Amino acid sequence: MPSIPDDIFFATITEINQKLVKKEFSAVELAKAFCDRLESIGPRYNALALSLRKVAMSDAKEVDGDIKRERLRGPLQGIPFGAKDLLSFAKHPTTWGAKPYEGQVFKETATVLKNIQKRGGLLTGKLAMVELAGGPSYRYASASLTGPGLNPWDTTRWSGGSSSGSGIAVAAGLVTYALGSETSGSILTPSAFCGVTGLRPTYGLVSRNGAMALSWTLDKIGPLCRSAEDCGLVLEAISGADDDDPASAHKSFHYTPQFARDFKDLRVGYAPVDFSEGVDPAARADYAKALETIRSLGLEVTEVKLPEFPYGAIIGTIISAEGSSIFEPLIKSSGVDQLADQRQIAGLKAGLEIPAKDYLKAMRIRSLIQEEFRNVFSKVDVLIAPSRFDPAPKITQPLDRRVSDRPTPTTPGLTALIPAGNLAGLPALSLPCGFANGMPMGLQLVGSPFSENRLLAIGKAFQDRTDWHKRRPPITAA
Amino acid sequence: MNRFTRRELAAVVSTSAVLLARPQAQPATQPLPANPAEELQASQAQLRDNAGQLDKFPLPMSVEPATTFKA
Repeated sequence: MPSIPDDIFFATITEINQKLVKKEFSAVELAKAFCDRLESIGPRYNALALSLRKVAMSDAKEVDGDIKRERLRGPLQGIPFGAKDLLSFAKHPTTWGAKPYEGQVFKETATVLKNIQKRGGLLTGKLAMVELAGGPSYRYASASLTGPGLNPWDTTRWSGGSSSGSGIAVAAGLVTYALGSETSGSILTPSAFCGVTGLRPTYGLVSRNGAMALSWTLDKIGPLCRSAEDCGLVLEAISGADDDDPASAHKSFHYTPQFARDFKDLRVGYAPVDFSEGVDPAARADYAKALETIRSLGLEVTEVKLPEFPYGAIIGTIISAEGSSIFEPLIKSSGVDQLADQRQIAGLKAGLEIPAKDYLKAMRIRSLIQEEFRNVFSKVDVLIAPSRFDPAPKITQPLDRRVSDRPTPTTPGLTALIPAGNLAGLPALSLPCGFANGMPMGLQLVGSPFSENRLLAIGKAFQDRTDWHKRRPPITAA
Repeated sequence: MNRFTRRELAAVVSTSAVLLARPQAQPATQPLPANPAEELQASQAQLRDNAGQLDKFPLPMSVEPATTFKA
């Protein structure tokens, strides 16, 4: 059996699929190589929740048969991928990253996984996550059944979460792409911290059927990949109407960057303070170059302000109220005390005490946020900001304590863009754009609802001119 | 879907100018809760703080929650 060259572990979906179709190697060979790598290296970073080698090898044989008969199913055919362990896969454990659900098994497979399997994708494993996707909040990176996600760039630092295993696995070349989820930051954060490309779709574009719910009105499923183009290919596969998801927008997505508007007709809004005082000083030069790259694409870059709302208080109230309602049986059974993080436990308990008036007020202000963002996007087409303003923290660092001793910037800029964008249901793309003392940093692009093709077109163009997304962490073979 | 007049929105947003999202993280010097009871009290205090921020936010009566019920 020919060995799979190391470069394949860091190749894009299109690159690998083309080689499969040309029969440079078989899907079985590819699946074996990726499964070997995921099983041997994944645990080193606490990235792996469950290997699905048997499933992947069986599906790979089918893919080889299909390719032999020229029954081609598209770019995801034969491509190994991982799924955050909040996505159910029938008859296999789905732990939600949490001790109380360690032995949980569902009869059905999540819609997004079925969609990819129909296209010949090879699910090689379930990936680690922060317990209950972070719940209302958590204090430590160790808030997980599988321990803290260790960053492949520096294992003394956190991978980010809650899609920790997804970020790690893509960065370390253990899967070609992964599915993660975001309620408030859980795709963008590991993408930024691990140096991969992550896409948070518009709320309702991707079915949540079969995914653990943390917050009904905030949860989104999305891809973490090696490139913006790969994110587009995966989004096309996983998006679409689903009557089994009450929040389905009943919209489809087709990845068509060639039909995106001319960049010279697009306006990008940003806050200069984010790139001067806001972001880590060690990354400011890279962020300045990133802005210049954006300008060089022909986009008009203009200053913008975020609408002023108490975003933290609003999203905190909504996640706590909805999350505690969802996990009420766990809380009342005292199973909640088995969770790993004390702040998570306390937050879930406290969330049951939120008066209806507070939740309703938060949801009413949220209507105003949506309206204000409609106004914002009448003036600009895309918002741009650092995905995170500091690099990944040390794994022992309390996440709810400020690490930086930098003075707070004179104006807030777009620092609240993650909660704000999630409250308004907006899509976002995080692109690797540089480093701060050896740790990756990301740039987020946020657009109006269902503008993913625009974000992906800009992302692809950015990545055609830069190579941050091709950088690899120092992974030694097992 | 809710639609608000520009005047309503401007009144609400301008009044909220002082209510910017607070930093999520506490200062590094703030001590961590010492036990589960203190942890619960801290979480309850955070939720009360959130509620306090929301209570200061003026809302026209016409604003409905961002949810849609379909019969």
